[in-house]
Amino acid sequence: MKRMANIDILPMACVGLILVLTMMILAPLVMTHTQTQVDVPKAHTSEIKTEENLTITYTIEGRLLVNDIEILPEELDQVVAEELARDPYQLVIVRADKDVLHNDVLEILASVKKVGAKRIACATKRPKDD
Amino acid sequence: MRKRKRLRFEHEPQGLILNSLVDIALSLVIGFIVTIPLFFESGIFVNAPGVAKAGASDVSDIKVNIHLLDDGAILLNEEIVTYQRLTELLPELLARSVERKVIISTEAHVRYERVITVLDLAKQKGAGQLALLRSRR
Repeated sequence: MKRMANIDILPMACVGLILVLTMMILAPLVMTHTQTQVDVPKAHTSEIKTEENLTITYTIEGRLLVNDIEILPEELDQVVAEELARDPYQLVIVRADKDVLHNDVLEILASVKKVGAKRIACATKRPKDD
Repeated sequence: MRKRKRLRFEHEPQGLILNSLVDIALSLVIGFIVTIPLFFESGIFVNAPGVAKAGASDVSDIKVNIHLLDDGAILLNEEIVTYQRLTELLPELLARSVERKVIISTEAHVRYERVITVLDLAKQKGAGQLALLRSRR
């Protein structure tokens, strides 16, 4: 009986598995910008958009971060404009702490709108009873 | 000495059985697909703040203007209402409105959480568009 030559695909399967695991770990880190802990308000009607976005974080201490990089408030217009220049339809998410003043958040929203953001969302989390 | 004849399978297994490995990989991929939306931020879409314009709008539609005061009071179309009353009136007003647009403005020292609570309520009661209004300084 003639023996058939076969290829050992086990190493390839192992490499594939490792790639899947690496992708699973890295994807949330690369695609989201929520490393800075902020206690966002709760809402029942929030929508989830799984797409690349520009995240502006405003903490209770008054720190302002764009995609987890801290910036000065006066730099916000320029930084957001640079990001939006690449994709004007990019979703802009404002993650503000629930205890900050709404007027401060309005200032951020107004700046974002002024530089041309088309889609803006306020980040929320779902209540646990949902 | 008698030699023991070696038993041979008619069909020798060739290579390794990868079924279990493929199953694990597939389970991981499905788990990944299911859990990835949880990592993304959820949110309420809003129309970013505009400055209040003087004068009446050309389109006559039922207006839903909510103004939040620093002391916790709520004004619905210039009338003070409780939160409970707001939950009752909002669906009635939105049902009669064409655009189903809710405009929210606040005083200077209102906490962000209160605004999101009202936005969430408006959305639950059928608001189509949510707009935040910034008063002219």
